[in-house]
Amino acid sequence: MSLTAWVRRARTPEPVPVRREIAVFEPADLFDIEIKDNPETNPVLCCTGDPAGAAAFNALWLKRIASSGRYAAAVSVRGQGGTPTAEGGPEARAHDVVQAAVTVPRQTVLMGHGEGAAWAALAAGRYPAAGLVLVSPQRVPKQLPKPVGEPPVLLVVSESETQSKEAQAVADEYGITPLTFAGAPNDIFKGPAAEGLLDTVLSWLDAQKG
Amino acid sequence: MQEYSSQAAYDRGEAVCVIGAGASGLIAVKNLRENGFEVDCYERDTVLGGLWNPQNQHSALYPNTHLVTSRSQTEIPDFPMPDDWPDYPSATQMLEYLTSYAKHFGLSEHIWYGSEISHLEPVEGARFEVVVKPAAGSAARRLRYGAVIIATGHHWAPNLPSYPGLDDFRGTVLHSSQLKDPSRLRGKHVLVIGGGNSGVDIACEAAVNAASCVHSVRRGTWHLPKYLGGEPADYALARLNSRPKFLRRFLTDRVLKGPSRLAERMGVETPDYGPGDEEPVRNGRYLEHVGDGSIKRRGEVARFDGFDVAFADGTETRPDLVVLATGYQPKIACVAPELLGGTRDEPAPRLFARMFSPKAQTLAVAGLVEPGVGVLPIVHWQTHAIARWLQVRKSDPERAESFKHQVNAESSQHAVEHVDPRRRLVVDAEEYLASLGRIIDTLEQEPAK
Ligand SMILES: Cc1cc2nc3c(=O)[nH]c(=O)nc-3n(C[C@H](O)[C@H](O)[C@H](O)COP(=O)(O)OP(=O)(O)OC[C@H]3O[C@@H](n4cnc5c(N)ncnc54)[C@H](O)[C@@H]3O)c2cc1C
Ligand SMILES: NC(=O)c1ccc[n+]([C@@H]2O[C@H](COP(=O)([O-])OP(=O)(O)OC[C@H]3O[C@@H](n4cnc5c(N)ncnc54)[C@H](OP(=O)(O)O)[C@@H]3O)[C@@H](O)[C@H]2O)c1
Repeated sequence: MSLTAWVRRARTPEPVPVRREIAVFEPADLFDIEIKDNPETNPVLCCTGDPAGAAAFNALWLKRIASSGRYAAAVSVRGQGGTPTAEGGPEARAHDVVQAAVTVPRQTVLMGHGEGAAWAALAAGRYPAAGLVLVSPQRVPKQLPKPVGEPPVLLVVSESETQSKEAQAVADEYGITPLTFAGAPNDIFKGPAAEGLLDTVLSWLDAQKG
Repeated sequence: MQEYSSQAAYDRGEAVCVIGAGASGLIAVKNLRENGFEVDCYERDTVLGGLWNPQNQHSALYPNTHLVTSRSQTEIPDFPMPDDWPDYPSATQMLEYLTSYAKHFGLSEHIWYGSEISHLEPVEGARFEVVVKPAAGSAARRLRYGAVIIATGHHWAPNLPSYPGLDDFRGTVLHSSQLKDPSRLRGKHVLVIGGGNSGVDIACEAAVNAASCVHSVRRGTWHLPKYLGGEPADYALARLNSRPKFLRRFLTDRVLKGPSRLAERMGVETPDYGPGDEEPVRNGRYLEHVGDGSIKRRGEVARFDGFDVAFADGTETRPDLVVLATGYQPKIACVAPELLGGTRDEPAPRLFARMFSPKAQTLAVAGLVEPGVGVLPIVHWQTHAIARWLQVRKSDPERAESFKHQVNAESSQHAVEHVDPRRRLVVDAEEYLASLGRIIDTLEQEPAK
């Protein structure tokens, strides 16, 4: 974040605070002695545009991420799942994501899906994410902030989205090439498409330094 | 340093040495690591958090210390405090915050506790050799680093005034940093000397806990309440700074009118400079305690006399406990003053842009400012700039040159050194932040094509 951006934000009213629903799954919760929380790896914090919020990740994601030895968490932003509705647009939702990120015990990867990818991208402009993973981004603002601390960025889209303007714009913004997963963009929470997507993301994360 | 030469220095290559694990040191370690540097941080105490940690032997905390700057203006820009915390968090929360910052970014593994840096000096290749003071029974360790950041704070050495008769005074005399336990005030007749934030806060504690409270203040200062127009005062004033210049003055005067009229009514002169020219006192309760008589204001103390204390106006009081809330003397003992732009006779540092050594490219100081607003954000941008500079210095000679011109220009702008030693560390937050912004731009801007 630039100093000017910070000055502007510090002089803008803070979004109304809300009590946020945060789902957490740690490697220890798996009751599998083979899988240990590896402090060398960065946790992963997820959010989605799906109104279910954090609960959407319960079916598969959190457990799968935890099986890779990572602390896994998901947040419901204002108006989703168990988090009360409160005023504010994408900036306020990005604030919710940052507020959740600082409660994670270690520097965390931000992973956003759909509209959640836009919030994660905004949040990464304020918080030095250990990595930024954008899955099938939607409604992404034209101007995205430069991520603080220059984290590695991954864009993953479904095969049907590869040619979409949205995906192209995001890829250009970060100067990266998107990876693709087989299946429909809405199939991402369970089933074979979700498994494939998670494999892609987790092996990319493992290839980064943290 | 002959005495250290018995043992060869351990070479840490391009790693950076950070001295102090208070807020400034922690932020420095985090920002250096983020920019790819290896870091060793040395902390003389056994805990992190500096003055915010009551377990730190030198902590400046007193009973019931709370932040005087509000949460949104105090938090580190890229690691906000929880937004369900109060506007003015307590010292305990501040420590919790700094601890979670350190944990979140894995800073502890880079900190060496119980390691005081007693000396540092430049060696060939723009590098530094530092000496870690030996623990009892072991030899001093010497290490070499690519750069050093001093973050030792400036609230460790109490400023202790002397008065005729003080040595023979029959009551108890404590500096504000020695008070610690609030029960020391209970039932006592208390005299508080000093009108800074510590003195005013302690007078308020005494007003409700002690048998009586007299507060000796030798001049007027700005008194700001904690809220202005329904908003935290520092936030409200900072917002005015985003207004066009011609309006700013007018609007600022307008919001400050009420507080300065109240201060005047309570016998506090409003200084002839603005509230940004010196750390203002921020306490909403104080003037009310003066108004209800639970704090009695007096002028300067003239002398101590047995059980009594006499003021310059001839009046006297008989306190059981005297609290000297007379501030601190900034001291950086581990380095020759010349390296920080001072002299033997005038040891006070004169740094480029308040952070860079004018003598050595790889030596900087973080947090040696009194900005009158939250200190942590300022230190964040300072250490961000220092980390960038250390990168650019090696990788981009052209940019390094423009940076040198830039900091020189920025520093001559601020050359209007306050003659008054008490205000030597004061910076106008608005101007200083703008200056930091320009410096960072020079270090980061895409090269013009
Ligand atoms: C009572 C009080 C209240 C304050 N309230 C506010 C507030 O509300 N808001 C605000 O923004 N600021 C406030 N401040 C300002 C405060 O200075 C900053 O908030 C901040 O704590 C500064 O941190 P620092 O790391 O620079 O210094 P410190 O916290 O002083 O830490 C310096 C560290 O360096 C270590 N050290 C010193 N010398 C050596 C050495 N030679 N070798 C190794 N280690 C060494 C010390 O042990 C210490 O841990 C307050 C200050 C005081 C005194
Ligand atoms: N709650 C908080 O967040 C909080 C609380 C306390 C302090 N702080 C900060 O910590 C720093 C230190 O504050 P502080 O209040 O301890 O110290 P300070 O701001 O330096 O104030 C010291 C006071 O003592 C007076 N004084 C000094 N020498 C004197 C003498 N010989 N005789 C009589 N009076 C004398 C000074 O008067 P002169 O000005 O006339 O010299 C001044 O009023 C400041 O930056 C402050 O803002 C913050």
